[in-house]
Amino acid sequence: MVLTADAGFRRDLVRSPENGGVSASAAPPVVVLDGVEKRFGDLVAVGGVSLAIPRGTCYALLGPNGAGKSTLSRIIAGTAPRDGGSVSVFGMDPWREQVRVKTRLGVVAQEDGLDEELDVQHNLHVYGGFFGLRGPELHARAAALLAFMELGGREATRVVALSGGMRRRLAIARGLLNDPELLILDEPTTGLDPQVRHAIWAVLRRLRGEGLTILLTTHYMEEAAQLADVVGVLHRGRLVASDAPDALVRAHLPSHVVETEAQDVAAAPPEGAIAERYGDRLFVFHDDQETLLRWAARHASGRTLARATSLEDVFLKLTGKALDG
Amino acid sequence: MAEVPARRAPPPPPSTATRVAAVWRRHARVYADSFVANATPAVLEPLFLLLAVGVGVGRYIDAEFNGLPYREFMAAGILGMTAVYTAAFESTHATFVRMRYQRAYDSMLNSPLTTRDVFVGEILWCASKGLFYTAIVATVLAVAGAISSPWALLAPVAGFVTALAFAGLGFLFTSFVTNITQFQFFFTAGLTPMVFFSGLMFPVQELPHGLREVAYATPMFHVIETFRLLVSGPSHASVPWAWACPFVVVALAVAFAAAGVRRMQSRLLR
Repeated sequence: MVLTADAGFRRDLVRSPENGGVSASAAPPVVVLDGVEKRFGDLVAVGGVSLAIPRGTCYALLGPNGAGKSTLSRIIAGTAPRDGGSVSVFGMDPWREQVRVKTRLGVVAQEDGLDEELDVQHNLHVYGGFFGLRGPELHARAAALLAFMELGGREATRVVALSGGMRRRLAIARGLLNDPELLILDEPTTGLDPQVRHAIWAVLRRLRGEGLTILLTTHYMEEAAQLADVVGVLHRGRLVASDAPDALVRAHLPSHVVETEAQDVAAAPPEGAIAERYGDRLFVFHDDQETLLRWAARHASGRTLARATSLEDVFLKLTGKALDG
Repeated sequence: MAEVPARRAPPPPPSTATRVAAVWRRHARVYADSFVANATPAVLEPLFLLLAVGVGVGRYIDAEFNGLPYREFMAAGILGMTAVYTAAFESTHATFVRMRYQRAYDSMLNSPLTTRDVFVGEILWCASKGLFYTAIVATVLAVAGAISSPWALLAPVAGFVTALAFAGLGFLFTSFVTNITQFQFFFTAGLTPMVFFSGLMFPVQELPHGLREVAYATPMFHVIETFRLLVSGPSHASVPWAWACPFVVVALAVAFAAAGVRRMQSRLLR
């Protein structure tokens, strides 16, 4: 009785007018991590990470190389065991129920992992076989995905003959082959031209718009800002902040910044400003752009840049470390 | 931009048999794409051996070996060598290249495949290749008149089991390898002496005491005696207990395959 009443209460809560009926956030999150740890010998790669990814949202793990992004995404994808904490993907433990979880996942690895011994279409056909997909249904889906990723006409091309951008598009097509409920992308645009990067972002935004849940790891601040509903900042295996990109900026720093050369500035920053020094660069943050510009005109010299505060600044403040470093 | 294909209900997880078969089919597909380049050396090598030694040198040999003309005596060893080298190459160099350089297993593991599926599928593929090549070489040997027993029709089955055993051994070795040049050791120090001193070139029972027992202890001796039972019959066996050899080969296949797959599984997991 108690259970029924409780469940009824929750359903009422979910359907309440405030959130406009059953929303994406009412469904259980696709991914839930609680205190996840991973060590390689003495090195702590992931040191107690907790997060949740609601259905239909995009979560970006942002951090420099070696922050633990790839390790964490492999733990979520069921390809690496963890040393502590709990992981739930679709309500299952991805390590213990690998096959069930991986059947519903799409993964695009950092080194695209394409089968260089096969041509484009057999990369999809063979990979589909690993999911138990076969025959005309698989072939039709592979053809549709190649068209979707603008690889139509390349069916018989060997993978080694593809450009970097085409390889990545093929890897994404392969990741979508099983119509996954969660797409995991590890550094999806690292090493690609800006045009290709924007094209891939457009594809990911479109997939996300159709309700696909996406987890991506990146060390590009712009990528996280462009795609993610929530950005988790990972530093030395720990999640030091997580929020919507704008909220993350607002919560940690004023909205505008002047960057200048540290040794040229003797004067105190304007009242209400936050000054941070990284190497030989001085960053002065303030919510009022006018105040900041007046101060800069008077005191700053050398290479000076006035701009809106970005995720990169938040990252620097939180970790004391540049993103590309 | 084209239409995104419509969402379906989540597919049921594929069964173990489906997954292992899909791995097997991956290798078969790659193989079929370059069939001529793959199969030619594997088949030509044993044939060169038959021509150069069996026919060439054999012409000067009047004696019979195990009651057989030299050419016929060699047939069992040539079949054994075919199966052994096919499996050994596929489970060492080829596996290492896929693991280290192509990173083929990493993306396989991102699909529903488990590490066990990957290596069970791969070892079954090695064994299938053993079966296939043994069948081709046996056909050529039969045409050359080096095979006299109808039991030789079972030679491909022996090729399958032999290849399973040696692919298992290959996996065991590969699981310890850190540098691709180390495979030289496996072939030069392991396989080559086994092939030359376990009954392919001459009857081992004629080796002096001590060495003879060493030869009897090798897996290769049991493989060659098994093929000899099939292609020439029990009256031409090297030892009175030759009937036991097929059972030994089956037992080795089971043990080596299981151990090799398990070792490769743990090698792949970090």
